[in-house]
Amino acid sequence: MKLGAARLLAVGYHLLMLVFVTWPGMLPFARVRPFVLGLPFSFAWVAGWIAGSVLVLVALDRVERRHREDE
Amino acid sequence: MMERWMVITVVIAFYLGVTLAIGLLAGRRTSHSVQGYVAGDRSFGLLVMYFVTGASVFSAFAFLGGPGWAYSQGAAAFYILSYGALGMAPFYWMGPRIAGLGRRLGYVTQAQLVCGRFPSRPLSTLLAVLSVAAFVPYVTLQMRGAGIVIEAVTDGHVPLWLGALVAYGIVMAYVLRSGVMAVGWTNTFQGIFMVVIAWTLGLYLPIKMYGGVGAMFEQILEARPELLVPPGLTAAGDPWSWGGYSSFILVSAIGLMMWPHLFMKAFTARDDDTLRRTVILFPTFQLFLVPVFLIGFAGVLFPTAPPSADFILPFMVLETGLPALVVGLFCAGALSASMSTGDALLHAAASVVVEDGVGPWKRLNDHQQRLLMRALVLLVGAAAYRAALDPDSSLVLLLATAYGIIAQFAPTVVASLYWRRATTPGAFAGLVAGAATAVVFWMNPDLRPFDIHEGVLGVLVHVPVLVGVSLATAPQPEGHLTRFFPERVRGASERTGAGAPAGGAGGPD
Repeated sequence: MKLGAARLLAVGYHLLMLVFVTWPGMLPFARVRPFVLGLPFSFAWVAGWIAGSVLVLVALDRVERRHREDE
Repeated sequence: MMERWMVITVVIAFYLGVTLAIGLLAGRRTSHSVQGYVAGDRSFGLLVMYFVTGASVFSAFAFLGGPGWAYSQGAAAFYILSYGALGMAPFYWMGPRIAGLGRRLGYVTQAQLVCGRFPSRPLSTLLAVLSVAAFVPYVTLQMRGAGIVIEAVTDGHVPLWLGALVAYGIVMAYVLRSGVMAVGWTNTFQGIFMVVIAWTLGLYLPIKMYGGVGAMFEQILEARPELLVPPGLTAAGDPWSWGGYSSFILVSAIGLMMWPHLFMKAFTARDDDTLRRTVILFPTFQLFLVPVFLIGFAGVLFPTAPPSADFILPFMVLETGLPALVVGLFCAGALSASMSTGDALLHAAASVVVEDGVGPWKRLNDHQQRLLMRALVLLVGAAAYRAALDPDSSLVLLLATAYGIIAQFAPTVVASLYWRRATTPGAFAGLVAGAATAVVFWMNPDLRPFDIHEGVLGVLVHVPVLVGVSLATAPQPEGHLTRFFPERVRGASERTGAGAPAGGAGGPD
């Protein structure tokens, strides 16, 4: 992946996260069912975005690191 | 046979002893300089940075207030879960940049960085005053949290005033002696404690009381369905507004890393990779809020209620018949949450006042600075302790205001790092306008449109004032700017004028 694309992905992911955990993006997901891993849906929804943040940042770091080594 | 509360007290005493020992030993290897006391000679590795960040962010507010919210206000508590990752992500880029400027130009505090870019002694003092104004209620909250836990689990044998005094006497001792190294190593110990205790109890209680996490929520859904749908309830039990819920997330995300005690930690990291990995791993620490909330939810259908919602965690631990040893360990975990934030706050408050409040006006030598910082740790600690004993102090309200002020640092910091055209009058005017707006709406909450947090409204005023006044005043001289944007020198004026100030009210980029 190119550096620019990786940065776009990381910034985009967190902007989307902001949209989807606040009004109005969260409205369709502000519900109790279906339960996920025993948690009400909205609870798991927020936790899922946090877990996703780790994955996106790890991916970004790999690309950034390779880019720095190339320099 | 020892009584139950005595066993618990012994466990707590042992825990406090270990913390004190770690804190005192930590300072042995640092230099006796201001850099050593404030920035740990820039030597923190990934393990310490991870726990310093996690344990400093998650305080008694998260560990006691979080379950309290889940218990009494249900899904409203999810806001606490939502903002951490959002607030931290921009530091993947900002952190190394801040650290680089710190190494090159010798900065150890946030205001030094800002005023390096915008040279102004009044601005430096304003930042110091606003920081400390936001710190005192925050330290107070931590002290009260520590006192509440100790009083609750010892059946009142150790009253709030004594518990808070002992816990914070220990914090003072190691912060005074070892500076930020003590904060680092004790937070590592305390951070591990918090995470292990939260996950163990958070999964154990629902399973023991309800037969599982899913089963617990099925029963809550049957009895109290309104608790499980965001944005949950207000403290009064009415449905919370989406405007309030969303803007609490926004202001906390903007303000999170602007807290001077967290911001300053960028100067303590050994290298840039350490900082980046700390940011990447932070959300894994943050997920410990999930079991913490589960403990709060476990209390919803419990037949008896604690004296107030903030007591729900110690209450559940005591009422569910756990062995005294486990109760003592839990209590140590909660104290960890309180003390690990309190120590960072006290240390930062002293550093900020001396470096930024006094430093620009009167030249002090290294020895005098360290001495003055230590005196200030005592002074701020004493002020917060006095406030902690006041049973009527409305701390959550005060803390929310504190966030409103702290969020105003964000446009200033972003402009100082990324916007070449920003000027000193612009930065000063923006900060004053933003902070004043936040205070006005805090004092008149009924004027807020859509129940939006006053800190967000402040930022909405701050950014246009910052941009407008900057553009109306003369740009900073090129020679000054090259110190801050050395990478731009190579490409000459490839991108003259640069972009608009990134982020600001917008969010996480």
